[in-house]
This record gives sequence, structure tokens and C-alpha cells, in this order.
Amino acid sequence: MDVVKMEGVVKAFGTVRAVDKLSLTVRQGEIMGFLGTNGAGKTTTIKMLLGFFRPDKGRVEVLGGDPCVPSTRAKIGFMPEAAYYYPFLNVRDLLEFYGGLCGMARNAVKRRSEELIARVGLSEAGKKPLRSYSKGMLQRAGIAQALLHDPDLLILDEPFTGLDPLARINLRDLIIDLRRQGKTVFFSSHELSEAELICDRVAIIKRGALVSCGSVQELAGDGERNLERVFLKVLEVDADTHGGGR
Amino acid sequence: MKHLSRQILALSRLSVLDLYRRKDLAVVFVLSGVILTPLFFFTPFGMSAASRYTNELAMLLVWLFSAVIGLGVASRLFPPEFNSRTIYPLLSKPVSRGTVLVGKYLGALAASLSALAIFYVAYGVLAGTRQGVWFPPVLWQALLLHAGFMVVITALSLLGSLALTVSANLTLCGLVTAGMLVFGQRLVSMAADQPAPGRWALYAIHWIAPHLEFFDMRQRLVHEWPPISWGVCGAVWLYALCYAAACLALAAVIFRRKKF
Repeated sequence: MDVVKMEGVVKAFGTVRAVDKLSLTVRQGEIMGFLGTNGAGKTTTIKMLLGFFRPDKGRVEVLGGDPCVPSTRAKIGFMPEAAYYYPFLNVRDLLEFYGGLCGMARNAVKRRSEELIARVGLSEAGKKPLRSYSKGMLQRAGIAQALLHDPDLLILDEPFTGLDPLARINLRDLIIDLRRQGKTVFFSSHELSEAELICDRVAIIKRGALVSCGSVQELAGDGERNLERVFLKVLEVDADTHGGGR
Repeated sequence: MKHLSRQILALSRLSVLDLYRRKDLAVVFVLSGVILTPLFFFTPFGMSAASRYTNELAMLLVWLFSAVIGLGVASRLFPPEFNSRTIYPLLSKPVSRGTVLVGKYLGALAASLSALAIFYVAYGVLAGTRQGVWFPPVLWQALLLHAGFMVVITALSLLGSLALTVSANLTLCGLVTAGMLVFGQRLVSMAADQPAPGRWALYAIHWIAPHLEFFDMRQRLVHEWPPISWGVCGAVWLYALCYAAACLALAAVIFRRKKF
């Protein structure tokens, strides 16, 4: 079953096409990496998956529904890149707030919060205001809020940015554990080594258009096993196709 | 329905926590206590009748501080969400933009009204101690209409917070509030004295800007005049609700079209 379906999606801001005829599917229970250089259109694509805005052309379907409809988002968890959460709250207050937005009962939020705070390693900092958190700790609070309502699809925007090596390993384990539970994970990243380690498939995007999609092994058809090299190769192929770029 | 009420409660609670965990509200309370308390034990020129002018000054401060709190809370509803990118996880939850708007508005209003209630209780106790009349009906009416004033200015400030920075919004809403409290009643007569372009501008302000002077019961309270009819109170509150609804409807259109 396809959890995410994008068909011929186009999104332009003024004269700039941020996403250009993008067609992509994400299957249930897989980890998909969404790779590209800065300004390639990764975040714009994610915003359309979350229903922040509609595409100019094409169709976006998430978990069989329109992501612009709130009920479709009930089964999506999202962690943005570098959000600075409400500085006057502590992590428990933060999760209580997001739990309320998800319509969860207070007791259920409390139970789940404690579980997640321990899971992301914030138990000791649980009572401290978020203004005192480091970037990595905020990132972990972000992961906890994304998982709070037990979503079927987890969308992460640059999840490994700002994490120390230990936190990276924990996040990697967490993502693999989610796949084991049958959840689908879709994340954008610059961290090719992390993507190579955990992704079932990767999609590479350049200037809003999909240039390659498949498993690392499939993409490296000539036996090349390093995603970094595959990434460079794919972008070069695209540059050749377009005469050195648009 | 349960789902919606939980969402609105969560959003409202956030605004109330924002106000009460910031140090600026504590500063306002301490400042008002420091100013109001000595005023009530001061008899100008040794004439007890002149003490109503200290009451007037106290009420002016209550109005000033409540406007600062109301406008301050509402103007901070959206810009920090945009700047710190918390708008993304917020809108990724199963919540509609209309619910976000209403929840945040109700939170700002609850926070402002709780501060207003504290001010009026302090005024009522201090004035009661001095004059021996405890919480007369006219004080309740003044509080009720002042609450209507807060309904309007928080809605106006929320509307501005979707399009302006915090400081720009505070300045603009502050000018509108002060301007309408001082000149609101005289706008039509002022317009009649002006040549054509100025006249139309004043008429436009008369019809568009909120008539905040409707909510001002300071003179009646200070000079211990009798209360107004409850029918008039109701009509003024209806005006407040209509004006706030218009601001929220416009804010909803802007928020729905806003791209993040």
C-alpha cells in the first residue's frame, strides 16, 4: 500500500518553480530518504505533504486522503528542521500542548509523554524550560512531539542536523524501531551517510524535479555501494542531460 | 466536539502560560501596586472631596495597564510562531486554521481578562477602604464594559499580528486605542469642520475604527454617578462582539491564505 502518492506535482513561487512535475510514492513500512542539495525543493515538498499549501498542478495524497484536511493529518507526525519551541514551557508542558491539539485525553498525554521523554533521553531536563535547551535537546523534544499521537507516517525535515553522535545513533535506532512497528518514515536530509545506513529507498531531487529513486543498490547499478558517490553521479547525469543545468 | 474543545483549551492555555510565565506582567502588577496604593491614602489639599481626582488617576492607570496587557498579549500571538517556526508542528497537527485562530484569541482574551479582574479587585478594595462603599453596581458595570473593550482590542491586535511585527502592531493598535478613546466621540463634529479630503478621511475613521469610548465608564465611576441602564450595556457589548467577529473573520481570511 502506498502511504504517500504524488503525481505530477508542480509548485511555483513567482517565477521560480520550487517543485517541478514531481511524482513519488512511499510504501507502507519503509524508510525513505529524500535527498537533494540546498534549495532543491525538499522542504516545499514536505510542506505540501503536510497540507500547508496545495500544489499548483498535480495531486498529493497522504494515507489515502487530502493532507489539507485536518483529519488526514491525525496519523502524520512531523518534526521540522530547527524549530525553537515555546521557551516558557518545559518539555512536559510542550507535549501536553501538542497532545491537546491532537485531541488526546490528558491522562493519555501524560502517560505517553513520560514514555517518550525517557525514549529521547530528556528525563533529567524534563522540568527545565525549553529556553535552556541546546539545539540537540530541542531536536529531541521535536521528535517526542512528532511521535506523541502514535502516527502511522513520520515526516522528518533534516532530523540529524545538530545532533551529537550519541543522539544520532539513538535517532537512527528509533527510526529503525518504528519501521519494525510497521510505521512509515519519510525524511529529508543532507546526511548521506545516515540515509545510506537506514533507508530502504532514497529519492534524489534536483531543482524540484525527481532525478532518481530506488534502493542504494539499485541506484548504484554498476556496483558502486557508496551513497555519496551515487548522489554525485546522479546529479552529474542530470547536469549532462540538461546541458550543465538550467 | 470533545476533540475541538481539547484543541481550543490547549491553544488558550498556551497564551495564558505565555502571559503568566513572562516577567513583564509581574512588573505591571508591582508597578500598579506601587502607584495605586499610595494614591488611595493621599488626600489632595486635605480635602476629602478632591480625592475623586486620585481615583480618576488610578482608573486612568488601570486603563493604561490593561490596554498594554491586552494589546501586548494579542500582538505576540503569531509573530513568534512564524519566527521560531513553531507554526509548522502546530499546523501539522489535526487542527484547522480557524480553530488555531479562535483558540489563540480566547487564550489572549482569558489572559487579559484575568489581569483586568485583578486590577478591578485591587481598585474596589482600595476605593472601598477609603469611601466605605464596597463594589457598587457602577463598578461592576465599569468592569463589564471594560471587558468589552478588551474583547475589541485583543481582536484588533490579533488581526494585526498576522500581518505586522510585534512592535509595528503594538504601535499601530496603541495609536488607534488612544486616538479613539480621546477623539472617538468628537470625530463627526471634527469632520464637519474640515475641507473635503480631510472630512472624508475622518468619516472613514468614524465608520471603520472601533468606538472604544463607548466602553469608558471612568467619569461615572469616579464621580459616583448612578449606573447606566443594562440595556445600553447590552447594546455596547453587542457592538463589541460584532466588531471582534469582523476582526476575526478578516484574520481568518488572511491566515487561510498565508503561505508558510
